[in-house]
Amino acid sequence: MRVEKEKMVLDRGFSYLLLLAFFFLILFSTNSFAQDPSDTLAPESVTNVDAFDTPNDNGHSITVSWELSSDDGAGKNNVVVYEVYRSDSPEGKFEKRGMVPAGENTFEDQGAKEKDNANYLPSHKNFYYRVRAKSDGLFSDSEISLPAYAYGQWYHTGKTPVLVAVILFSVFAITFITLARKGKLFYIRPLAGIEAVDDAIGRATEMGKPILYIFGLGTADMIATIASFTILSRVAKKTAEYQTPILIPCYDSVVMAVAQETVRAAYLEAGRPDMYKEENIFFLTSMQFAYVAGVNGIMLREKPATNFYLGKFYAESLILAETGSIAGSIQISGTDEIAQIPFFVAATDYTLIGEELYAASAYLGREPVLLGTLKGQDWGKAVVIFSLILGALAASFGFQFFINLFRIQL
Amino acid sequence: MHPSPDIGIWIGGLLTLGIFSFLYGDNPYYKFCEALFVGVSAGHWFITLFWTVFIPKLLGNIGIAIHTFRTEGFAAGMSDYMHWSYIFGGILGFLMILRLFPKIGWISRWSLAFVVGTTAGYYFINYLVSNGLMQIQKTILPLTSVGNIILVVGTFCGLIYFFFSKEHKGAFGGLARVGIWFLMITFGASFGYTVMSRMSLLIGRMDYIFGIWLGMIR
Amino acid sequence: MGFFERLLKIDRRIIFTFIAVAIALPLFFNVSMYVETTSEVVGIFSAVDSLSPGSKVLISFDYDPGSMPELQPMAESFLRHCFSRDLKVILMGLWPQGPLQANWALDVILNDPDIKVKNLKYGVDYVNLGYTAGNEVVIQRMGSDIHAAFPVDYYGTSLDEIPLMRGVRNFNNIDFVYNLSAGYPGTMEWVQFAADRFHARLGAGNTAVQAPLMYPYLGKKQLVGILGGMKGAAEYEVLAQRPARAVRYMFGQGISHAVVIFFVIIGNLAFFATRKKKES
Repeated sequence: MRVEKEKMVLDRGFSYLLLLAFFFLILFSTNSFAQDPSDTLAPESVTNVDAFDTPNDNGHSITVSWELSSDDGAGKNNVVVYEVYRSDSPEGKFEKRGMVPAGENTFEDQGAKEKDNANYLPSHKNFYYRVRAKSDGLFSDSEISLPAYAYGQWYHTGKTPVLVAVILFSVFAITFITLARKGKLFYIRPLAGIEAVDDAIGRATEMGKPILYIFGLGTADMIATIASFTILSRVAKKTAEYQTPILIPCYDSVVMAVAQETVRAAYLEAGRPDMYKEENIFFLTSMQFAYVAGVNGIMLREKPATNFYLGKFYAESLILAETGSIAGSIQISGTDEIAQIPFFVAATDYTLIGEELYAASAYLGREPVLLGTLKGQDWGKAVVIFSLILGALAASFGFQFFINLFRIQL
Repeated sequence: MHPSPDIGIWIGGLLTLGIFSFLYGDNPYYKFCEALFVGVSAGHWFITLFWTVFIPKLLGNIGIAIHTFRTEGFAAGMSDYMHWSYIFGGILGFLMILRLFPKIGWISRWSLAFVVGTTAGYYFINYLVSNGLMQIQKTILPLTSVGNIILVVGTFCGLIYFFFSKEHKGAFGGLARVGIWFLMITFGASFGYTVMSRMSLLIGRMDYIFGIWLGMIR
Repeated sequence: MGFFERLLKIDRRIIFTFIAVAIALPLFFNVSMYVETTSEVVGIFSAVDSLSPGSKVLISFDYDPGSMPELQPMAESFLRHCFSRDLKVILMGLWPQGPLQANWALDVILNDPDIKVKNLKYGVDYVNLGYTAGNEVVIQRMGSDIHAAFPVDYYGTSLDEIPLMRGVRNFNNIDFVYNLSAGYPGTMEWVQFAADRFHARLGAGNTAVQAPLMYPYLGKKQLVGILGGMKGAAEYEVLAQRPARAVRYMFGQGISHAVVIFFVIIGNLAFFATRKKKES
């Protein structure tokens, strides 16, 4: 039944085509002397129209491809655009779905996935496509494509490199964390900024001045802030032992809460819970430059002996570090915000550059999870370095297949 | 000279001068402006969050859910999970407030754990793709031009510098040293850009003082 | 104490004075500097210039008054460019202050004589979606449904009632995304979510502080171009053949840079001279 129907349609289409050809023949014969023939003849229709589900998506999209009209870039060279039409039955009404300029041979019919949307394109339903090659007003239609339906994929093949990387890095991290838990000690190279922490606290004690600890503008979920909490824990423990007050003006209320928690625990661990003063860890304001103004005031009035700037910093970094240096404090800084590192390098005594901040927290915390992760990251970096060298060589000698291993489609 | 008749502009100008006076040294004028700034901004922030998050996001969405419940009956009301789900956030937020009570303050850690955990997972893939794999892909270049060679060598040595489980000694230390040189050059470029940024801010303020406030320009 | 030692111990207030004069003085003269355009700025300009009239452009204002001198001129010249090309503009902010910045820029541009004659209408030619909390999650939400991320606009009107927003569901319906950013959330998040994940065509205007960090993302797939600080803003004005504030400010910028370079050089000279002396 179905085959017969399609055949019939084709027959009808064929007769239309004949009529059309006849019509153009007349048109051509009457105008051939007046005009350039390419202006009055419709371009050849496109061939091999193929509709198929768009790969690597959640359905609701069908891709149409075709072979360019012989008048696109050659022949009469009069194709301007291709218009793509869709219908849910071969003899039904074809609706325009979009167009692409001449020279292109694919179109993605991207529909909406919501039923109430006018642009809704259901998955698992057959659609038929037709491509119209258009010149300045004349056109010719292709044959109708075989039916195609959209459906979602469970696995996105273009993201394979991401999967491989995730597995690789996770395996590294889990392996080394497990090893660290079992008591294996990993070597971490010394970091100048961290070696100086004890001296800096000692100096504050001698001078009888407080220590100022700044988290910057980071929120509690940022890695830099989390690393800073670990370092704070160590610093607070030392200040408890030396009985030196520690001031922490905060930009974020959650950071303040966690900082209070951290310092309280550190004082308890040092056996000096009585020394802990919650009012020294306080919220200032959540507006960048107002916060800077507030901290600057504290620096000039309290004259802290040592300032720690560890966490996420933005434009306030230089203003803070500059004021601290005027106030004559020893300053230890560290951030993963690359744009701010130059200022810390210029204006503070010790700087933890980027990832060194995370390393410092592992170095001080000596926690298996941190140590293991750091070691795992080093292995990850080794893999990156290795693929970089191989990749650069492959690219230099034209081994495209190796480069394609890293190609991600999102 | 045509000073602005607008009192708001005058306040802005005087406060600008107050903050600038810090350049000369700490003084009561600066302290006044600082305190005002801190207070106003904290209040402004509170009001903004209250009216853009708390009211429309929490109360608004739960209000819609309750409305569906009352007008469309029990089944429709219960299935409106999109709006009900905001209650979950509300509860986590409420747990945060519990830290005002020292005895049960520890419960607020649950909310923190949720925030830290979800964001870590959320970021993992994005950072890996945008800052990791895509950048590796962009660095895999044929070593045929000086620019490409510098890019590949710089990336290579920079990575070596951030190796923590090996001491920077010998050839390895040499490569790390090259890495830190590359880093410092990057920092220099970045420093230059920031100087430009700061000057722009100052130009903006100067234009405000001399142009908008005092009306001395044009 | 020798000359160089004294130079190293120079009172910083003297340097402040030099900078203040170098910046304030040029404002009084109507001199403009030659601004050379760079490919990063041309990338954005030509991307917008090649959009057909009626195309939809999304502008995200992710900054507050602290960065106005750099980013506001970018916002204004970009808006003027969009309106003069008859593009439809959707404004929003990931920072609470963003939508207000957007309105200030609109105020300036809609009163521009060239634009005023077009008699642009709110809701038809431009719309301000306001601010939504959630940082990068908002961008991700917009990738699936903008109406879910912003149920109402800045003035509380439902998005379904705004003609301009009716056909706009996600980034597929937006032809160009322009992000004005002063930090987090900002360009990095737009690259990660809008460009990498949803393949939006993205350009950005950044404060000079963070501009260098965004250069690794330059390229067809992530960022078509970037405006870095006042210089970037001035370039855009030059390309649009409408020199405005940024171009006017560039003269002071140039002079102040010269002063800074001068002090860097003599500071280094003094540093090395005194170090040699100490060594010997």
